[in-house]
Amino acid sequence: MTAPTARHAELLPRQRSRNTYWLSSAGFVAPAVLLAAVVLYLPFLYTTYISFTEYNGLGDPEWVGLENYVDMFTDPGLVNSLVNTLYWVAGTLILPVGLGLMIAVLSHGLPNATLFRLPFLIPYAISGVAVGVIWSFILQTNGALSQVVGFFGVDAPRWLLDSPLNTFVMIVASTWQGAGVNALLFGIGLQSIPKEPLEAARVDGASGFTLFRTMTWPMLTPLTTVVVGLSIVGSLKTFDIVWGMTKGGPGGASETLALTMFKETFQSNQYGLGAAVAVFLTVVTVAASIIYLRRQLAPGRSA
Amino acid sequence: MTAATPVVRRPRTSPGVVVRQVVLAILGVIWLVPVYLLLANASKRPEVFGEYSVWQPGDLGGLVSNMADAWGRGRLSLGTLSTALYAITSPALAVLVGAAAGFSIVALRLRRGFFWFVLIFTSTVFPLQMILMPLFIGYASTGLYNTRTGMILVYTVISVPFSAFVMRNFFSGIAHHVFEAAVVDGASPWRIFWRIYLPMSGPALVAIFILQATFIWNDLLLGLTLSQSETVRPVIAALSALQSTYGGSAMSTVLAGGLLVSLPTVVLFLATQRAFTRGLSLGQF
Repeated sequence: MTAPTARHAELLPRQRSRNTYWLSSAGFVAPAVLLAAVVLYLPFLYTTYISFTEYNGLGDPEWVGLENYVDMFTDPGLVNSLVNTLYWVAGTLILPVGLGLMIAVLSHGLPNATLFRLPFLIPYAISGVAVGVIWSFILQTNGALSQVVGFFGVDAPRWLLDSPLNTFVMIVASTWQGAGVNALLFGIGLQSIPKEPLEAARVDGASGFTLFRTMTWPMLTPLTTVVVGLSIVGSLKTFDIVWGMTKGGPGGASETLALTMFKETFQSNQYGLGAAVAVFLTVVTVAASIIYLRRQLAPGRSA
Repeated sequence: MTAATPVVRRPRTSPGVVVRQVVLAILGVIWLVPVYLLLANASKRPEVFGEYSVWQPGDLGGLVSNMADAWGRGRLSLGTLSTALYAITSPALAVLVGAAAGFSIVALRLRRGFFWFVLIFTSTVFPLQMILMPLFIGYASTGLYNTRTGMILVYTVISVPFSAFVMRNFFSGIAHHVFEAAVVDGASPWRIFWRIYLPMSGPALVAIFILQATFIWNDLLLGLTLSQSETVRPVIAALSALQSTYGGSAMSTVLAGGLLVSLPTVVLFLATQRAFTRGLSLGQF
């Protein structure tokens, strides 16, 4: 019974697996698909539907078309969140990504590279709220940073009260948390660059910044795409640090879209508006994700 | 600067290396300042907090008593225990579910496997904000709201796509002959999965587990949305509440709480940095 089947398997493995294992293959993939469908995709569809309605959680949702979306781009509070979110995206690309690249390049090939990178990695494992606790303390009135600034004879600004300064200092706090992991990723990329072309360029006289600009940077592009994509996606969703430092205040001045979604939905019971913000965030996030997902999901890599 | 005498090959500690080390060391010290401020001020006793400069350290006894205060009076204890439960159970379940999906797609050559893979994986692309409100409504109407089962369920599902992604990549690296040989020996798919594929993927499973456990431990958004009571609420949400209710002279308690909550993930991360890095590179490329 087994022998002929086995020989058959050797001859036509693909054909055979399709015929024999369709039931078990469906069984093995079913838990993941079912969980994703019920807990992720159904809610996804429901939020999309609610974004076109007026709904406060009680009674029935009332269809209002694009009204919530119009509100999102006209209401001053929401526009402010939108602008803050753009600050976060731009700031994250400049600071944590730029510094991460710098740390990776500086430490690459050093004898004690791991040791030099360690200080930057510690904050990465800390939650955004704990980062917020630490930095709120540093930034409080007459706190550590104000004393440092005062030492140089400058009057300290009200770090967390004035807008848009509060958003900028929170981006600094998130840089403190996130630069290390970008350095780690760029480090992986640098290690995977073949040595020979670099050596050849060095023999030809290239060194320092020229070597980096003409050789290392172009070869690092695939990884840079991933880091940039991840950073954009991450910064669009900024929530924890802001929640831990200002809760979006004062008076919504430092809110990001992620915070606005949460507050509109769970504090103001404006489910429709909250859902519209969520949908908008999703559209932008997906657009940004395509930058790096194209690499991950390239058909050539399919199983 | 000097005459262009033909110099012998530069020694290994070239000026460039020294400059790089100095720049990195300065940056590193700057990076450690917030850590120092956290430790220095979490260790000051509340009654003398105002008498010190923020730059002066307290003492170890103060640190211990402040942590005890955050743990007990600050109500972090229950949250820590529940979160430990979530951060162990959910990644363990997710790793199995994800590995099963990867096994089905790669080893059993599921029909239209790539479609199902994209379906599972794409759900990580959209932000959590997209599912919060329906989950809240669904949880409230099914009695899952503010229960440990509900939290374990949502954390598991959130972790499945990444797990499936990494495991599919990992299984792709195992030659299909391994599977065929086991079939010839008369093993069922179920047995091949448990006895051959899972034991072969230890490093990947550990890497996923660590990454997802860290993510769950540090989660705020799902905890805020789907739980309420001190026994169910995850520890980060509890820390956030502690921060809002305490302040002023009790600042040292809040900082000690922040330190307490951060210790497990920082220690886990530093102890398993290699596996962590491997997990990142498996997930990203």
